[in-house]
Amino acid sequence: MDKKKGKGKKMAIIISGRVTAFIFLVTCLVLFYIFMYMAKRGWKVSIRTFPAVAAIPEAIGRAAEMGKPIYYSTGYAMETLSNPDQGPQTLAGISILGYVTKLAARSGVKIYYYTCIPDSLPLVEETMRNAYLEEGKPEDFDPDVIRFLSGQSPYLTATLGFMQRERPAANIFMGGFYYEAVVMGEAGNTIGAMQISGTANTHQMPFFIATCDYAMISEELYAASAAIAQNPDILGTIKGEDIMKLVILALIGIGFIISFTGTTFLIDLLRM
Amino acid sequence: MSEVLRKEVVYLITAIVALTMIVDYFFGIQQLTDAASMIRTWAVVISAMALALGTVNLMRSHGNIVRKRVPGRWFYSGVLIFFFVLTTLLGLLNINDPSSNPIYKWLFDYPYTSLGQTLYAITGFYIASAAYRAFRARNIDAALLLIAGIFVLLKNAPIGEVIWSQLPVIGGWFNDIGQVPAMRTFLITAAFGLLTYGFRTLIGRERGFYGEVGGGA
Repeated sequence: MDKKKGKGKKMAIIISGRVTAFIFLVTCLVLFYIFMYMAKRGWKVSIRTFPAVAAIPEAIGRAAEMGKPIYYSTGYAMETLSNPDQGPQTLAGISILGYVTKLAARSGVKIYYYTCIPDSLPLVEETMRNAYLEEGKPEDFDPDVIRFLSGQSPYLTATLGFMQRERPAANIFMGGFYYEAVVMGEAGNTIGAMQISGTANTHQMPFFIATCDYAMISEELYAASAAIAQNPDILGTIKGEDIMKLVILALIGIGFIISFTGTTFLIDLLRM
Repeated sequence: MSEVLRKEVVYLITAIVALTMIVDYFFGIQQLTDAASMIRTWAVVISAMALALGTVNLMRSHGNIVRKRVPGRWFYSGVLIFFFVLTTLLGLLNINDPSSNPIYKWLFDYPYTSLGQTLYAITGFYIASAAYRAFRARNIDAALLLIAGIFVLLKNAPIGEVIWSQLPVIGGWFNDIGQVPAMRTFLITAAFGLLTYGFRTLIGRERGFYGEVGGGA
């Protein structure tokens, strides 16, 4: 124990097998920062329009015309924000919820949020309350539109019931979805709702693509908040991400070619 | 404490926690490992406290429905409240091991688990309905998807092998090899998206989930 402590004090040692990952992470962060700094200094960064994000005002408009509410959910996401894969997707979903609520508040459309993630409740309430506040309609915010259901199946059942009862004009699904994705998507189709979705869960992407009018896949969910904010320095980080994707693509290409020579140099390097 | 300061403190705590977890993952420093372990415990405790918030939300929402006698709904909300209270009381009677209470165990094992399983099982019908929509050959891409889908379907259905012994082999190729590069691409790009999102959160530039609404609206 003492030996371990002494070792830690003396010098930080990177755990074996994580050296390359550490170098890669630091490179990414430095690159993100450089691009962010450049964007802040006036370098123009633009990202393509996400059809799903562009469709959100249309969905709100549809709801306003029909006089019906909007349903919003961030998915099952293992029922916690602490899950490293699912938690960030929920947070990205809540970021987009702020934008949707703001538009809904402006048009006088009621928006219902269903969740089974208890830790997300304070964040959702704060986000929705602030959206109404920013639109100058704090009195229109009703905390009862945020519905918590304990467990995946009860949450799904409640959603199906809501869709049948209220017939929302639009359903927006943004977050870490599991098997409820296909059920909700199909139920929404049955009632003729306009549907917009986004998830980074590869196993649910096909279902959203099949059942929704617009779908954001993979990292688009994380980039959506940057696309909405159109903040130059945030967009800069997306540019940095694109550069790192090119690096990975090059590594895959090199790895593919040198694999024919039988050398394991690249694999050994990555496993370092 | 002013509103601005309150928010800045939240961003600062987020950054410190995130950095501790990152450094702990890469470096074998005992003190940091202890700190990271403690933070994880705190996260569990905070999650448990959040469950109480969820309970309040659930009771408030369904209590209002019962109080207002909403037609067609108040009865079901009443049932929910009744079983919530009953299960909580039964759990509290055997607080050290609630599952040792036979009624508590029965409520969980029979009504709750079977209803959950039933709901999960009907997903098959929803998938069939979604597949019907996705597999319509409207263009060349959809036609290719349809062909690949048929092979995978015949690989899984016993009749495929009866029709032609090579059908499961072709379906297996799509399943085990054909789709893997695409799925891995999605995984890699999602990881990068997550990394960028994490970086923005770390430096306090991703504030949407703190209640700050994006400027695009």
